[in-house]
Amino acid sequence: MSNFKWVSTPIIRSCLLRANSKAIIHSTNVGASLTRAGLNGIRTNHSISNDSPENLIKKSHTKAMPADYEIVAPVKKIKIIKLAHSKYESSKYHLPKWKSAMGEVVINMLKLDMDRVRAGPVAGSYYYMLCKEQGLQYDDEELSESCKFFYESLNLPRTFSQWFQITILHEWILFTRMRAMPFKYGKNYQQKLVDRTFLDIERRLFEEMNVKSGRIVDQYLKDFNTQLRGAVFAYDEGFFTDDATLATALWRNLFGGRKNIDMVQLEAIVRYVRSQLYVLSKMSDREFAKGNFKFVPPNEVVERLTPEQENKLKQSIIKKYETETDLLPSEHSKLSYTN
Amino acid sequence: MSQVQIAAKQLINTIQKFPKDKIKHIVSFKDTQIERFSKIAGIKTSHTEKKQVSMNDLKDIVNRTSGPLGLQASVMKKIQNGLANETMSVEMLNEQNIALQNLLSNKYKNYYEVGDKLYKPSGNPQYYERIMNEIEGKKKETFGSALRTVFFGK
Repeated sequence: MSNFKWVSTPIIRSCLLRANSKAIIHSTNVGASLTRAGLNGIRTNHSISNDSPENLIKKSHTKAMPADYEIVAPVKKIKIIKLAHSKYESSKYHLPKWKSAMGEVVINMLKLDMDRVRAGPVAGSYYYMLCKEQGLQYDDEELSESCKFFYESLNLPRTFSQWFQITILHEWILFTRMRAMPFKYGKNYQQKLVDRTFLDIERRLFEEMNVKSGRIVDQYLKDFNTQLRGAVFAYDEGFFTDDATLATALWRNLFGGRKNIDMVQLEAIVRYVRSQLYVLSKMSDREFAKGNFKFVPPNEVVERLTPEQENKLKQSIIKKYETETDLLPSEHSKLSYTN
Repeated sequence: MSQVQIAAKQLINTIQKFPKDKIKHIVSFKDTQIERFSKIAGIKTSHTEKKQVSMNDLKDIVNRTSGPLGLQASVMKKIQNGLANETMSVEMLNEQNIALQNLLSNKYKNYYEVGDKLYKPSGNPQYYERIMNEIEGKKKETFGSALRTVFFGK
């Protein structure tokens, strides 16, 4: 499975994203919202500014700095290990032909349920890497684009714990979609993602944070576990109730309950989270399960699809999977591509 | 009363509209932010008075979670109290106010509507309802339903 290519879905991206474009709000009832806007003279719930989360923050005049103490906890890079020591997870590794052929024979003979098997490489490897990369920073390395959003725009401290908070926020975003898969598979995807998270944290604590004692690492892992449970619960509540509750959950977890918070930053991160969830809600089970999702970068705008665009998107996905023939045993899936 | 104080008061009014925490957390967004902007608005707050922490509160906090970002509760308190005075302009305060009003009006939840696909996920349609029932105390989990979750996952 290692030479499996992860292709982002160009259709979804081109339909949903319009980076720094001028305001064209796709609303199901543009007319109605316009009239209401005219009547009230103020904003309505059906239109939002055309600023990406990052732009929203840039416009803010409040320069809220992190808590008033200096956090010095640099994360030093020892070696370039992005994910694991295993060669199978390296992007440069190509599985020899005979090995993949033998794999296909085994899958075929034992009639393996590939939707179950796929959870490992997709959720445990690819999706975990996506979540990890969002906030991954090293003291001696330049920040990536998404890191700039979190550490520079949002002024979050550059620490290991903060990286963990950013990672679990993204994992939770994926959890919400995994719950919508058939229970057996969704649960497995979630399990693989969490398993890999803690395996990787353990490795990072030993190798990168240079913790020598296994007992201390265990303590950290327990602490991170409680944080994960707390955060998932709080985000779930916020996601289901309203934006204000989601914002306070983000304030408590991601911002560590910082007192001098800039509310514009809170608004931006709520927008960021909700837009990711929207993109996920438009993906079919099979698209998501095969790893065709990427987080929308914070400097891009997600626009709502019109019913026509949505229909077009669905049709193209259906066409893509219906025309697929001569699939290898490892490529089979029973998950729906129409939902 | 200066313009800044008026703007700060308006902001406090908006913060007061924020929903009350349904369960008790180590820090409360509403309380800390009202206290923060009360300084700017020149209002004395009732939140500065020391609250008696009951044994149950302590047990609850210890059992549930350690501080966010791995911070001890005592350190969190120090940070909360140790903030310097902020100076904010009317423009800044109004910006804060608009951002909070956007959140209160559920702008993003409505715009990025995810529908029943995510709110009633097909793998576990009762998931969010059960959480909300538990938090709001409408319908508590029974021992049987808890066991069922442990064994079957839903």
